[in-house]
Amino acid sequence: MLRFILQRALYALPLIFVIIVVMFTLLHLIPGDPVQSLVGDYPVPPAYRAVIEEKYRLNDPFVVQVGNYVVAVLHGDFGFSYQNQRPVLDLILERAPRTILLASVGFAFAIPLGMAIGVVAGTTRNPGTDKFWTTSALIAYAIPTFWLGQLLVMLFALRFGWFPTQGIGPLISRAHGFDWLLEKARYLALPVLAFAIHEGMRFARIMRASVIDTLSQGYIVTARAKGLSRGQIIRNHILRNSSLPLVTIAGYSFGSALGGAVLLETVFTWPGLGLLMVDSIRLRDNLTVIGVVIFSALAVIVMNLIVDILYALLDPRIRTAG
Amino acid sequence: MSELTKPVAPRTTVLGRWRRTLGNLMGTRHGAIGAIILLMLAAVAISAPVVAPYTPLQQTSVSLAPPSSEFLFGTDNIGRDVFSLILYGAQSSLLVGLGAALAALLVGGTIGILAGYFRGPVEAVLMRVIELFQTLPVIMLVLCAVALFGSSFSLLIAAVALAIWPMEARLVYGQYIKLREREFIAAARVADLSTTHIIFREILPNAAQPVIVQVALDASIAILIEAGLGFLGLSDPSMVSWGQLLFVAQDYMDTAWWMSVFPGAAICLAVIGLNLFADGLNEVVDPRSTRGMGGLQ
Repeated sequence: MLRFILQRALYALPLIFVIIVVMFTLLHLIPGDPVQSLVGDYPVPPAYRAVIEEKYRLNDPFVVQVGNYVVAVLHGDFGFSYQNQRPVLDLILERAPRTILLASVGFAFAIPLGMAIGVVAGTTRNPGTDKFWTTSALIAYAIPTFWLGQLLVMLFALRFGWFPTQGIGPLISRAHGFDWLLEKARYLALPVLAFAIHEGMRFARIMRASVIDTLSQGYIVTARAKGLSRGQIIRNHILRNSSLPLVTIAGYSFGSALGGAVLLETVFTWPGLGLLMVDSIRLRDNLTVIGVVIFSALAVIVMNLIVDILYALLDPRIRTAG
Repeated sequence: MSELTKPVAPRTTVLGRWRRTLGNLMGTRHGAIGAIILLMLAAVAISAPVVAPYTPLQQTSVSLAPPSSEFLFGTDNIGRDVFSLILYGAQSSLLVGLGAALAALLVGGTIGILAGYFRGPVEAVLMRVIELFQTLPVIMLVLCAVALFGSSFSLLIAAVALAIWPMEARLVYGQYIKLREREFIAAARVADLSTTHIIFREILPNAAQPVIVQVALDASIAILIEAGLGFLGLSDPSMVSWGQLLFVAQDYMDTAWWMSVFPGAAICLAVIGLNLFADGLNEVVDPRSTRGMGGLQ
């Protein structure tokens, strides 16, 4: 088992390295003179140019520059964001917990929702019920999350006034304890709802296919022959065996969700990593853009690694196969 | 020459097969509905300059007018007719959808064929490249490309294609891996047919059908991505697009619901159409995939 984990981890390392190198190369390819952009619209004095080029080692061979950047990133130095007047790492660390909060609560609702609908649609005796859920899943899949967000805001925030339209909390909050939690929940409600509808319906699709697959297995026939009730079969046999693919896919999606739900965060002005990325793109703050991309790639790689390890723990066939 | 000795041209059978596929497609409910939606949208996109009451730049006298008989879908913040904008928006959405899906097919298909047919070190390297692309969340990848290289219309298509080609590559790769081991390919090798002939004339026709289904799905994803970019205000400013309309609508949610509802519904319609079309196509191409809904009796 340890060998499997090491093998997987070793496999992930070069991937991280390559992503950092690719990102730096892209940054390098952007047209424009970095010294000129520091100065603005004035001609650059040659002496100043020499100082800057010396300071930032702009004349080093490309390979050396890449090497320096990789070493810096590995030390947690993603550069300095002039637009925000702060190190990029600080920005990322400030935004990440908010994105993680949104993603965690979203998944906490989306997974059970998807499982429940998938089991109902997969095991129902009534073709109408199945058709209803598969059609709903199709429509939910076609709705862009950001539009769903707008609709929810217009209905529940602007018309009924039940929830705030945007943001992560009031500017000044005096709430403590349970009230504080309730206040947070009101701000979380709509983004999480949009997220849960979208992801939950995707999970429902996967779960339904998996349930139908499980139904054709021999042990279900055996269970039925033993005279187990419908509820018992669903609880003890179908639910457990059908959940594995869903949990795997949810795990992988969780990794990408940690990089920031760019569109959802924009609709609700939720100041997480996604919004940071969009704002940085608008401000041409390339170091921050690349910092967020590297961070989210890292989140995906680590999350995939965890899912693979968990999967191997749950299913011995995986670790012996490699 | 008698009727019996007349040679049967193999081309016609391939053509016949596709015609039959098309016929069967219209026989499936999903496929028929999807095809009708897509044809309708294509007609709208092409005829927009004729049908639309206003041009995209034309401002009417009233801004933020609610839907009425004069302005079917209302007007926006600077007095443009939302109905006309949506008709014109169909052009850019469908072009990006189709363009990006075809570009992804070309890139992904080539890489999938190379990796799947030649195996060995080529396969190892190309599969790592695919994995690299699949590590990043799709939207991040597109955003990055647009951020660094700008968002003119052709770059937009390239950026969206960049995000979706790995799916296509994986599918084609899987097809080639599977088919290259079949007897008829071994026979072709023994018959000393050229590699190009085997790849394009022997394997390709047999691998094509699931790939076509994927192209339709890719187009729907491309439309969603393009809408997302527009919503972030990063699409080509010289083209009207549905996503861009939603970007503007974001600031008027409290006063003008019609600015958000109609463009969003248009995106949904296009994506649903493509998905239904792909669904029907899949049903025709791979009848096994339509599972019985037997359930627990």
